[in-house]
Amino acid sequence: MKLLAFVHWLSSTPLSQLIQRTSWAIPGIQVVHILSLATLFALVLNLALRMAGRGLTAEPLRSLAARFVPVVWACLSVLLLTGSLLIIAEPERTITNQVFYLKMGLLLVAIVLLLWLIRAARREPENPSRLKVAAAAVWMLIWTGIIIAGRYIAYYIA
Amino acid sequence: MSVDFLEWLQGTSVAVAVAEEWFPLVESVHVVTMAIVAGTIFIVDTRLLGLTSTRLPFSYLSERLLPWTWWAFAGSVLTGTLMFLSNATGYYANTPFRVKMVLLLLAGVNMLIFQKLTFRSVAAWDAIRPPAAARLAGTLSLCLWCGVIGFGRWIGFLIGK
Repeated sequence: MKLLAFVHWLSSTPLSQLIQRTSWAIPGIQVVHILSLATLFALVLNLALRMAGRGLTAEPLRSLAARFVPVVWACLSVLLLTGSLLIIAEPERTITNQVFYLKMGLLLVAIVLLLWLIRAARREPENPSRLKVAAAAVWMLIWTGIIIAGRYIAYYIA
Repeated sequence: MSVDFLEWLQGTSVAVAVAEEWFPLVESVHVVTMAIVAGTIFIVDTRLLGLTSTRLPFSYLSERLLPWTWWAFAGSVLTGTLMFLSNATGYYANTPFRVKMVLLLLAGVNMLIFQKLTFRSVAAWDAIRPPAAARLAGTLSLCLWCGVIGFGRWIGFLIGK
């Protein structure tokens, strides 16, 4: 199977070998991954609450989004980088794992909703319509699902 | 702590149910609640350092965020306790687990000192860059929580899944 051949090739690359040989590398990369996900999760929670007309209401959504969204992108970049390193280190753990693809699918939806939120934040006047409240709730559920799926990658044997 | 007590703990029906069936779900909820705890604390701490959210008064930001921190912390303690019960003797003997508990305690002491001393004068610095004592509390809190997360991840590597 082509996918398995790719997995074997990836785990034989020098970078993969280096991470595998360095005992602290995988936990170290995971800790950076976890710190970024915690920061991202708290930021999107505040954006979602603000979109629903709650939370940091002293600041307009437009201004809050202008401050938080760049940090969300930065966190996503770090997550993508550390996540990629973890895949390169142990490709058989993720590439043949269905939960990993579920996580990536959810991530795609979360990013589409982030782009929608950015547009909604730019538009004035802001009002927490039912659609925005529902979108904010769904958005948080998806981010929560991403975290749970991420943990289940370790338990799901494909 | 006596080994007999720890063995009794991990023999209780709740502990056995977590060990045999619920561990992945309990651990996932632990990660989600931990993310809210650490993430909201990072936002408040960087404000304390005068680096972020500088246009919002510190008291307002902490008033709005800390209820989330506390509810999520309750969830983390609950799920953490369930994980501990599932293998009480293993966690008790695990060095990263012990270090994590000490760091959590220190984070609590740091917060208490900040609340009882520095925060009392908040009216004087609510809208400006917080004083050195507040910035020190924020720095300590950031370091301690990074440590809590780091040692927390390390526990799992030594204890196995």
